[in-house]
Amino acid sequence: MDWDKLVQLLVNGVTLGSVYALVALGFSMVYGILKLLNLAHGDVLMVGAFIGWGALGWLGGAQDPRVAVWLLILLMVLAAMAGCGLLGVAIERFAYRPLRRAPRIAPLISALGVSFFLQNSVLLLFGSEFRSYETFDLVDVEIGIHWGPLNVWVIRIVVVAAALAMMVALWLLVTRTKLGKAMRATAFDREAAAMMGIDVDRVIVTTFFIGSALAGAAGVLVGLIFGQINHFMGFGYGLKGFIAAVVGGIGSMPGAMLGGLFIGVVEALSIGYIEDVTFGRLGSAFSDLVVFSILVLFMLLRPQGFLGRPEVKKV
Amino acid sequence: MSSERQMVPRIGVDQWVATAEERRLRTLGVRLDEAVARVPFALRLLGIALPVALYPVLVDSEYLLQVGIDTLVFVLLGLGLNVAVGWVGLLDLGYVAFFGLGAYLYAAVASEYAGRHWDALVAVPAVVAAVAVIGFLLGLPSRRLAGDYLAIVTLFFLQIFLVVLINSGFTRGPNGISNVLPLEVLGRQAVSLEAYFYITLAACVVVATALYLVNHSRTGRAWRALREDELAAELMTMPTNRLKLLGFAFGAGVAGLAGALYAPQQGAVFPANFDLVLLITVYAMVVLGGAGNLFGVAVGAVIVTGSLEALRSPADASWLFYGALTVTLLAVLRPWWKAPALLAATVVFGLAVHEAVEAARPSLVAGTPVGQAWIDGLVDGWVLLPENIVTGDGLPSGALGRLAYLALVASVLALTLVRSSRWRLVGLVPVLYLAASVWESLLLPQPAVARYILIGAMLVALMAFRPQGLFGRPRVEIV
Amino acid sequence: MTKGLIATAAAGLAAAAVVATAVAKTSAPAGASQVAQCTNVSLGMLAPLTGPAAFLGQEQLSWVRFAVSKFNRQYGTRFKVVLADTQLSASLARTAGRRLNANPNVMAVIGGSTSQSVISTAGLFKRTGLVSISGSATRVDLTNGQFPTFFRVVPHDGIQAPNIVAFLTKRLRVDNVVVIDSQDDYSVPLAQAIARGLRRAGVEVSRESVAADETDFSSIVANVSGAADIVVFATQTASAAQTLSQQLREQGKRAVVFGTDGAYSPTQFKPRLGYVSSFANDLRFLPSARPLVREYNRFSRNKPFGTFGPPSYMAAWVAMTAIRAACADGRATRPEVTEQVRRTNVPSILGGRIQFTRNGDVRGAKFYIFRVTDGQYRLVG
Repeated sequence: MDWDKLVQLLVNGVTLGSVYALVALGFSMVYGILKLLNLAHGDVLMVGAFIGWGALGWLGGAQDPRVAVWLLILLMVLAAMAGCGLLGVAIERFAYRPLRRAPRIAPLISALGVSFFLQNSVLLLFGSEFRSYETFDLVDVEIGIHWGPLNVWVIRIVVVAAALAMMVALWLLVTRTKLGKAMRATAFDREAAAMMGIDVDRVIVTTFFIGSALAGAAGVLVGLIFGQINHFMGFGYGLKGFIAAVVGGIGSMPGAMLGGLFIGVVEALSIGYIEDVTFGRLGSAFSDLVVFSILVLFMLLRPQGFLGRPEVKKV
Repeated sequence: MSSERQMVPRIGVDQWVATAEERRLRTLGVRLDEAVARVPFALRLLGIALPVALYPVLVDSEYLLQVGIDTLVFVLLGLGLNVAVGWVGLLDLGYVAFFGLGAYLYAAVASEYAGRHWDALVAVPAVVAAVAVIGFLLGLPSRRLAGDYLAIVTLFFLQIFLVVLINSGFTRGPNGISNVLPLEVLGRQAVSLEAYFYITLAACVVVATALYLVNHSRTGRAWRALREDELAAELMTMPTNRLKLLGFAFGAGVAGLAGALYAPQQGAVFPANFDLVLLITVYAMVVLGGAGNLFGVAVGAVIVTGSLEALRSPADASWLFYGALTVTLLAVLRPWWKAPALLAATVVFGLAVHEAVEAARPSLVAGTPVGQAWIDGLVDGWVLLPENIVTGDGLPSGALGRLAYLALVASVLALTLVRSSRWRLVGLVPVLYLAASVWESLLLPQPAVARYILIGAMLVALMAFRPQGLFGRPRVEIV
Repeated sequence: MTKGLIATAAAGLAAAAVVATAVAKTSAPAGASQVAQCTNVSLGMLAPLTGPAAFLGQEQLSWVRFAVSKFNRQYGTRFKVVLADTQLSASLARTAGRRLNANPNVMAVIGGSTSQSVISTAGLFKRTGLVSISGSATRVDLTNGQFPTFFRVVPHDGIQAPNIVAFLTKRLRVDNVVVIDSQDDYSVPLAQAIARGLRRAGVEVSRESVAADETDFSSIVANVSGAADIVVFATQTASAAQTLSQQLREQGKRAVVFGTDGAYSPTQFKPRLGYVSSFANDLRFLPSARPLVREYNRFSRNKPFGTFGPPSYMAAWVAMTAIRAACADGRATRPEVTEQVRRTNVPSILGGRIQFTRNGDVRGAKFYIFRVTDGQYRLVG
């Protein structure tokens, strides 16, 4: 057993997983309230990554930042959260709200359109080449924990910590505040909530704002760890985030976090070990196949996921 | 146009249902739709297919012929997708994987690489059957899923399909299979473009007929019942799972047929041919034409392929942009004098702005348009076209271009929120002018990206304002 | 039901008739060899001008335009450029190729830029005798004789792989190498050839593969053994090579990245220590090319460039020289131009002369290998 490799794969898996968890949270919250699959969620993440990149350039770039590094990262994340939050609200207002009473397939097609529109708009404005965060110039990759088999770059720690902090904040918001109560009530039964005097539209808008802001933050975090972003990056993260939400139990917040970490670790481990397990027949490129099988297995055997409630259809 | 959208749904009154018929009568094209519906199907089909059959005689450029074939392949794809999306009401996002499967399977039975060359009369039906079976198998694990989950499973299936194509040795990875042999019927090979045109046209006719018959059979009615209300359909003892699987397999089979005709015509298959862009293009066709309506889907395919092809070169794109803008305004605005008045106001507004800007910041109007020559002559003295706003990479240089684009998107969205129709008309003047400026300076130099932006925007706008597309029937969901 | 039957029968009959006529018209009309007056001649530019590889196509286009303006000035000709955008899609390339084929003014095509676009179009060009000269398609089998009107001014991958293998085994004396491809038509055959060559030389090789748009290599890096000396990364994105080399350092691996020609980019790929190969020498490092670079910078208003543009400049130059020769009698046909291209013998801006082999490869071509230390490039082989 090669412990170095296992430890390293777990580190990668947890980093990736915390990003997936942030994406999954947004998916899960929106789905919980609107029963709507926001296919454009991944592209919101991509826009967030570009906003962060813009903020980085505006603050002097990675080589020559005008502010302290921690402040720079904080400002990038905040800018992306604000920008993507507004973007999410706009998407809800213009693409989904007119379709609240339309057949179910309509908002999904609209979401496809939004996704395509966002991708190609960024392609138009920023081109197809990968844009670099140049994080490696900002914080050298050798700074961090190097302890036996454990090698963790400090940016990874920042990313996981930031993701955890945001999840805790969200958890507090949903469980401890009046707004959170309204959100839970709306998710439980929209019409009943409306009758109880909850401003459902406002709750939906807030949900979109928070979910999209989390995706925006995730975009900046992705840019920070991997250093490069492009207009198509959102697709993969959106897909994995959604799978994480399903595996964790759609509609459940702790489920989304758990699902995200689970999918991240599974992906990292399957890249690391798929070749050994299949006696060299399948290479690391087939790791998506493993994730796909997990999704199908969950849908067949436990459609409510880890922590979700089994869905009871009301007639 | 927007009164019903502004109404807040009241508890107990379903606005959508209550106003369905009213809206239908008010919408554009409804009379045409009904007139078409009265003609018998066989006649309608012949009426379309015969003029189309003259196309290769009328054009003598192999380029236009190739575009014609591509369009017909897209018509086939649209017809197949319509089964799942329009009739059964399933969001199948893995659809182009079946197209790819068809193409690759054909390559497996007729290519130099495979060392086989089956007769088309055997190869094509075999490929179609195989793809339909695979569609059925994929449907099996998905059958318990609600509509939304199905979308993700199928989307992921497409992703996996591509991963496997790219990474496995027997499909020759990303290099694709490059010596796919032509269709061979009883020892005669189809090699000319005309031959492929007629074969694809014939396939469209056969598929359209078959789909028409299925749709008017018991199965077709059951599909529609399922689409409208799955639970009710199940309570009426319809085998919903089997019906869904059948619809899925049917669509997959048609896509497989399209693939089996596409591969020999192209002479090569590559994994990159079956990507998300293709998927969204096919969706745009089905949605634009009107999901559920065969004729509409075909028209949607023709419109989308035609405009995508026209948007390939800046010269043709200029025509299309100004033409489509004018026609839309003329069609939408009532009474009739509003559209010309609006256009005149925009021209005057533009000239004034252009003069003012030229006096203050000459660099903002110093650029040269790149579109169609005489349109360029007209717009050069009218739009704001900064010099060098687009660099050689086709990217906007500096913040100005990006801001203008964002401002355009924001102002179009804001305009849809304006309630008073008079103010909306007034607001349209600067927005149109901004649109023309952004078009000339940002979009026209990069038509390939511009066209996909337009497709994305069109999908969203159609869903919000006319979810039934050009020819579809509006549907009502009872909640 | 009877109505339906009649409809089916009618449709079936119509379809059968249509197929019959179609199959009867079997042979394609042979491409009429077009005769052009030499006053209005264009070069077709077949490249991904937009889409995911637009940077490549745009750099090439800019250099082709530069070549055309320089040639026109030098010889008083009036060549023009006709654009044909492939967007990196094989089927669009085919349609774009037909468009060029059908345009009687086009006497030569510069491109296709990618090997897939050559496969989709060179067969079409063959039928009308239209010559195409690529400045970047490096797949080996393009010049195995199947496309007699296709030429390229850059060496093919069959040369790159042995060059890299020889450098690794003879100069660096490695004995443990990881070879990664990025799942596209360029990198997979290249990575396979390199792995094969290294194994034959007795080097221990392990293979990995990542998606073309992958940005996270940390789990791949975890697979790299501590004993590995070099990670050869066949990629088209320089920033991916940069991320890979940093993630190797993050995990304390001693292996350094050897990027293939797609990773060549002094602005994006700048590891502490690394190697990169390139199918052309970097014009900016050639003292003899300084005046030309200055001229280009003036022409393009200082548009940055890498190694993709200058070969396309040469391709255009070769094409225009050939058309001018074919036009000596005032008119030219496409086969005539092809024949002239075959006889090309012009000095290259990248050093040496351009002459073609019988199958359309450039004679004596080789790859260039650079060592990168702290972001500085130095030619080492």
